[in-house]
Amino acid sequence: MNTLQSIVASVWDQVDMVLGWQPGYDPLHPVPAFVRDPKDIASLIWNPLCAPNLSVYLAKSFKAPTRGEKKIGILAKGCDSRSLTALIQEGLVDRNRLLIIGLPCPGTVDPDALTSVRTQSGPITDVSFADGMVQLTATDGVERVPLDQVLARRCQRCRHPHPVLYDVLLEEVVPRPVPKDPFAHVKALENQPLEARKAFWLRELERCLRCYACRNACPLCVCQDQCLAESRTPKWVTQKDTVADKFLFHMIHTLHLAGRCTECGECERVCPMKIPIGLLKEKTAHIAMDLWGYESGTDPAAQPPLLSYDASVNGL
Amino acid sequence: MRDEAVTITNQTESSLRIVGFLCNWCSYGGADTAGVCRFRQPPLLRIIRIPCTGRMDPMFVVKALIQGVDGVLVSGCHPKDCHYAVGNFYARRRLELVGRFLPFIGIDPRRFRYTWVSASEGQRWQQVVTEFSALIAALGPNPGFSAHVR
Repeated sequence: MNTLQSIVASVWDQVDMVLGWQPGYDPLHPVPAFVRDPKDIASLIWNPLCAPNLSVYLAKSFKAPTRGEKKIGILAKGCDSRSLTALIQEGLVDRNRLLIIGLPCPGTVDPDALTSVRTQSGPITDVSFADGMVQLTATDGVERVPLDQVLARRCQRCRHPHPVLYDVLLEEVVPRPVPKDPFAHVKALENQPLEARKAFWLRELERCLRCYACRNACPLCVCQDQCLAESRTPKWVTQKDTVADKFLFHMIHTLHLAGRCTECGECERVCPMKIPIGLLKEKTAHIAMDLWGYESGTDPAAQPPLLSYDASVNGL
Repeated sequence: MRDEAVTITNQTESSLRIVGFLCNWCSYGGADTAGVCRFRQPPLLRIIRIPCTGRMDPMFVVKALIQGVDGVLVSGCHPKDCHYAVGNFYARRRLELVGRFLPFIGIDPRRFRYTWVSASEGQRWQQVVTEFSALIAALGPNPGFSAHVR
């Protein structure tokens, strides 16, 4: 039986470092781990609470090769592996630098949903997962909740729970079945009249703090030092807190990800104001699929549609 | 300051505004041809000359519409006639994408149009501007996103 630890230990001689998750400040929030010392391998964990997309660190912090020729090991769920593939497609990360440990994913848990469905009130001391159930151990007893009930929105619509790109696969978990209509949330909004859609976005984006957490958590938002949102020349958004400025910031993020977004949902997960900004990117992904039959992050050799063109007179 | 200037302009001239992004090599020449030929055109359009439609950032379209411009018209060389060979092929994909994205955020997609007009097509330019202006006039003013009161 291969466990996560045994797999990491078996590839340790090929890597300088492994990116994974370790227990965080409470049982509901595992945090990213950068394992550089083999004795820390034991601290790595993998469960449906390991939500952070680790590929965000690659283009931003580990672009250039470090000491020697060794690789960077990275744990990747289905969505994470799509982000990695997109980074490789655009030449932002070198495939040969990566050793990808694929994790078939049962879906990740939204800690807020979990908190709202539990009936106990005591602090949670332990969380475990078995047979599609989440078992919560709190100071006032044990409770079991179905995993399906507490899945994050991004996981309810996940098309690739099984990693699309990996070197080693951890065959421990059964991946979540693919839903019938991954774009159901987008379509639900589209079915409303134009005015209602505008009112929806004004209401939602009114809350935006412009903390840029969505941008920082995005694995494909790679030009952070030169981000248009903070540039003064050209000056796209002002320092005012009007909804128009907030809207413009989100348009920058969305349009720069058009045809690139792998729908990992990190922008939405990290939003402190719970704004469903993932919908904006899902819509662009939906358009790219409609127009060019393109699904970002599924083929390392594919060219993103907005970086290429159709040279016929009436084509697109 | 700028916002004040915009407000004053809006107050003094209450007419509608269309922003036109015109490629230097074809449509700008086409608009010039239309002017030289004294073809009558509605006065709503304000022209911004760009080096090529490949210069079009979809953000130009979105920012203009968010700020309350009533219409955005992008025009460039016909496909296969681009001065830079492929600029308008890239533009075509971006513009089509942004055009399909606009209704999702609650902006009427009819307020945005992209088209191809060559330098010799003064007549066609007149027709494009007249049709688009009539459409914008029928749609009325665009409230933009700034008008939202908290």
